Amino acid sequence: MSEQTLTNKESLALITEMIGQAKRNYQKGGSFHFLLWGWVVMLANLGHYYLEGFTDYAHPYLVWVITFPAGIISALYGARQSKRATVVSHLDRLYGQVWIAAGVGIVITLIFMRNLSFNHGAMILLFASMGTYLSGQMLRFKPLILGGLALAAAAVVCFNASVTDQYLVSAIGIFLGYIIPGYLLKTKENG
Amino acid sequence: MDDFKPLDPLLHSQLRLAVMSLLLSVESAEFTFIKEKTRATAGNLSVQLDKLSSAGYIQVEKAFKGKKPVTTCQITKWGVEAFETYVNALKGYIE
Repeated sequence: MSEQTLTNKESLALITEMIGQAKRNYQKGGSFHFLLWGWVVMLANLGHYYLEGFTDYAHPYLVWVITFPAGIISALYGARQSKRATVVSHLDRLYGQVWIAAGVGIVITLIFMRNLSFNHGAMILLFASMGTYLSGQMLRFKPLILGGLALAAAAVVCFNASVTDQYLVSAIGIFLGYIIPGYLLKTKENG
Repeated sequence: MDDFKPLDPLLHSQLRLAVMSLLLSVESAEFTFIKEKTRATAGNLSVQLDKLSSAGYIQVEKAFKGKKPVTTCQITKWGVEAFETYVNALKGYIE
């Protein structure tokens, strides 16, 4: 592109073309986080459900330590992705902010889970549902939108289940809301 | 003749207008991305970015990604206003 002045129509055409160029760029790699957290949280939920419901083990909550390395991996992957990206779209920024907001909600709920008599599963599912639904709308990707709705449905079931059964319901919710849409998103990213 | 406002000469040039349109559409973009999308030469793009930066239309930040120097550009509030004024003036000519 050279340094030259334009006719008015050329100006408008150029503006339209450049805005179109920018629109086609959004960061890939969203599926990684859905799959990582999907598998980790689903397995932790199933582990907790099994240990609490079918064994005499006194500390079933210890299975949740697997979320710590997952957090580190997730943060490192995110940092590497943003290092590689040569452009940050408005949507990329918003996408990150949605998950920060959902994450803050989840962490606060976990801190006060005793106050909820450990009926926190439904709350966590609701935060995950909002994040997944909004991600789906931002990426215009229907499986994530449906995943968000599946997580909301799981939250409704959780509100009516015993504390132990909530772990099983959460595992199913995460499978439907994170893992299935996560693999479909991965296929789309690679396609 | 309210419709015919003068066009900002800083924006009424091919490469600078391309850069501004691109930066308007994103949060921030690196030099390499702008160069690729505008198909400009590095030298020419540098000069035009300097002009836009001097006018306060864009903010240019130089940093390091590891050992690699990286230039990141972002449109300013003043730049957005200038761009809107330019587009409105342009509409006046075309309508």
